[in-house]
Amino acid sequence: MNELARVESEQHGSLCLVRVYGEIDMSNDREVLTAIEGAVARKTVRLVVDLTHTTYLDSAGLALLLRLAERIQARQQRLSVVVPVDSPVRRAFELTGLPSVIDLESRSEDAMNQTRPGYSNDQV
Amino acid sequence: MKGLRGHPKQMSRSTLLRYTSKIVLVGGAYYVAAILGLRLALIERNVTPLWPPTGIAVVAFIIFGWRVWPGVALAAFAVNMPISTNGLAAAATATGNTLAPIVAALLLVRVGFRKEIDRLQDALAIVFLGALLSMLISASVGAGTLVLSGAIPASKFPAAWAVWWTGDAMGVLVVAPFLLGLFQRPWSGSLRERTEAGVLLLLVATVSVLVMNTDLRLMFLVIPFLGWTAWRFQQRGAAPAALLAAGIASWAAAHGLGPFQQGTLLEKMITLQAFNATVAFSSLFFAALVTERTRAREALERAAAELEDRVGRRTADLSTANARLKHEIAERHDADRKLRQREGQLAEVQQQAQVGNWEWVIPEDRVSWSDEMYRIHGHLPKAFPLTFEKAVEQVEEEDAARIRANVQAALGRGRDHDLPPSEYRIVRADGAERVLLGKARLSVGSDGQPLRMIGTVKDITESKKAEREHRIAETLQRSLLPDRLPEIPGVMLAARYLPATSDIEVGGDWYDVVQLPNGTVGLAIGDVAGHGLRAASTMGQLRMALRAYALEEESPSQVVSRVRHLVRLLVPDIVTMIYLTFDPESGTLRFANAGHPPPLLVGWKGETSYLEGGLGPPLGATTHLGQDIEVAAHVDAGSTLLLFTDGLVERRGTSIRDGLTRLKTLAADRGEDLEALCDHLLGSMVTSQVSDDIALLALRQVPLAAEPLLLRLPAEPHVLAPLRHTVRRWLREIDADPRVADDVLIACGEACANAIQHAYGAKDGLFEVNLVLSDGTVEVTIRDLGSWRPSSGSGRAERRGGLGQRLMRELMDSVDVNSGPGGTVVRMRRSLQVGADRERTRAR
Repeated sequence: MNELARVESEQHGSLCLVRVYGEIDMSNDREVLTAIEGAVARKTVRLVVDLTHTTYLDSAGLALLLRLAERIQARQQRLSVVVPVDSPVRRAFELTGLPSVIDLESRSEDAMNQTRPGYSNDQV
Repeated sequence: MKGLRGHPKQMSRSTLLRYTSKIVLVGGAYYVAAILGLRLALIERNVTPLWPPTGIAVVAFIIFGWRVWPGVALAAFAVNMPISTNGLAAAATATGNTLAPIVAALLLVRVGFRKEIDRLQDALAIVFLGALLSMLISASVGAGTLVLSGAIPASKFPAAWAVWWTGDAMGVLVVAPFLLGLFQRPWSGSLRERTEAGVLLLLVATVSVLVMNTDLRLMFLVIPFLGWTAWRFQQRGAAPAALLAAGIASWAAAHGLGPFQQGTLLEKMITLQAFNATVAFSSLFFAALVTERTRAREALERAAAELEDRVGRRTADLSTANARLKHEIAERHDADRKLRQREGQLAEVQQQAQVGNWEWVIPEDRVSWSDEMYRIHGHLPKAFPLTFEKAVEQVEEEDAARIRANVQAALGRGRDHDLPPSEYRIVRADGAERVLLGKARLSVGSDGQPLRMIGTVKDITESKKAEREHRIAETLQRSLLPDRLPEIPGVMLAARYLPATSDIEVGGDWYDVVQLPNGTVGLAIGDVAGHGLRAASTMGQLRMALRAYALEEESPSQVVSRVRHLVRLLVPDIVTMIYLTFDPESGTLRFANAGHPPPLLVGWKGETSYLEGGLGPPLGATTHLGQDIEVAAHVDAGSTLLLFTDGLVERRGTSIRDGLTRLKTLAADRGEDLEALCDHLLGSMVTSQVSDDIALLALRQVPLAAEPLLLRLPAEPHVLAPLRHTVRRWLREIDADPRVADDVLIACGEACANAIQHAYGAKDGLFEVNLVLSDGTVEVTIRDLGSWRPSSGSGRAERRGGLGQRLMRELMDSVDVNSGPGGTVVRMRRSLQVGADRERTRAR
């Protein structure tokens, strides 16, 4: 797809991994949210949204993640977001204090290996 | 004595001498013949059964004329004197003997007697007029004189008269032809003929002598020989033969030989005269008949020959005339054929051009149409005679009324003139509607009375249809070409479309520029083979399909492959095209080419190269479904990319390679202004006529950071991604640190998102983005022209807005928001310094 953003997902048992490629702004936030939610199977216990390949994310993207987190929690599921330390997206997360409400990991492997809720160790 | 040569009034001496000698000759001959004749006398001494002098006298009068009568008269007197009783009787007898030959000659000349006796009428004349009739005179005078002079008793008169008459007649019949023969042209017979004639005469003489010296009555044996002679030599032979036979017979009778030994005088006389008459008649008639027959045959032959000659000449004349006639016919035929050919050609030309002509003889209201006129109106040629009303019968009501009004007006003008051309519709009998263009000219008489109108009618249905189709196609094509090119900061775009002028059809060329969601630009150029509505509509379909694929597929080769597939399935035409994506931020170009002329890349220094890679076959040309290949190129700042269709580089008479070379040379002198470059290229490449459509699309990468960045954009979410591309590029060009650039990018994006979300609500509007580098600080100003309204209250927007405000303030060094009735201005500053330096600056 030649879209602004592209969503890919993998299901590993009760764990669902969703990767977002491209950019998220107010022009595509709804589509991205719908795509992520659509990828989550009913049996999913834990959802990992990997933003490693997301090159731009602004307030619209942050709002999207907050809304996703609310919906996931409402379904008794858990959400982790993976953002590498050197990512341009990372600063937006940190500056808006989102890590206080959303699990933030630096690497997707860490997020997937987590067996219990909580913040990862490499959190800044 | 007309008819016989008359007595000359004056005679010369020599003439007199000749006359006298003739008289002496004639008299002498008469006298000698008389003496000889008297030896044959049967009665007394002066009545002989054959009296030759009479023949001599007749011939003398015929030859010399009546004036030699003294010779005859004197000789006759001299002959009769001794045997007459007295001088008076001798004179009377001599008078009778002279008068009879004169009358005979006179009668013969009178009836046109010919001396040759070569006609039956000559034979009849000499027998009946010359001998039997004329000799009545001498016989009557002579016999009467004998009785009156007392030489014989009156009782012997009949016998004496009969002997005299027959003797004189026989003298004429036997002697005259012979003598006449002597006065003719000498005989030109051959030796063999002369011999034959001699033998025949000898035979006649021999046979005559023989039959006269035998007691047997065989006198008739002479006849065949006479006949033979007459047959072979005509009068030339018959006359002497008859003279011989008669002479011998008379001699025999006089001497009482053979057949004449017994019987009375009368019997002998009858026998002799019968024999002599038979001999004379037979030879005369037979010779005359044969001559006549021969002459008739000769005349016939001559006539036949002449006829043949005449027929020949006439035939020659006829054949000459015939040849001339044939030639004339051929010429006429030729002229006829040429005329027909010319007529045929005219008709053909009219048919091809769908032009008919007509004539209206106004006083008689008689209209004549050319064949094509009938065809245009859906009839067979010359189907019916016409009047004006009949001629406009098929014209639609409204148009017919207009034509009638125009014609009425024209007729009233009273002078020769052309009527304005008129376009009108007809409905044929089968319901088909045609559009016609009529032209007419009026001729008037000297008094201004309208005489006739001539004109032409052209069936313009097809051209009207084509014109309409052309308009539709052109409109369609125009509507399918982008009406304006996207504004991409740092990227100049220019396009030209030039429809063919020589062709009324529009072509299937197109170009397109698509702003893709990821901030790159898709450019396409293509050419659908063919012209007209179909090519234009195919082009329209392909353009839409390409747009759809361009949005879905990131890779140009994928896009081209999908269009190729579509063309294979749905489009019957051959299509060439190039699709390329251009990333303004990086200057990266990726493209795939389906049989289209290669793009031309012109570097900022003017160096040129055709991008000939990524080439696959034209769409629709093959069933090849292999993967289209894709190549990449880089467009530096200041470089120009030219995309075009073959109409630009193809010229009749020159190869496309020459065109490409020429374009390369022209494009090297690229100039500052891209629009000017396009005009320059078209102006130079296209000479007088545009034979094919031309599409030209030019793209130039220009440096952004040379001056402040100022963008005016529609307040719509989709502008954000391209905007980020521009801002990123601008920041990179001012050498901002990537981390600073990311911060400015997000802050700018937040401010723009606010402007889009709040400033206009559902309404369309514009907002401005302004980036300025000043003293190591980037100043970003976002200005909208709407009223800053509170958020609509939706949770999502509220949350985003809050996050945005926070981000802007955290990411930038300063943020000022000024809202007024004229709009809202957000002004933000950010130092290019990073890390500790920046913290220090912020602290100040």
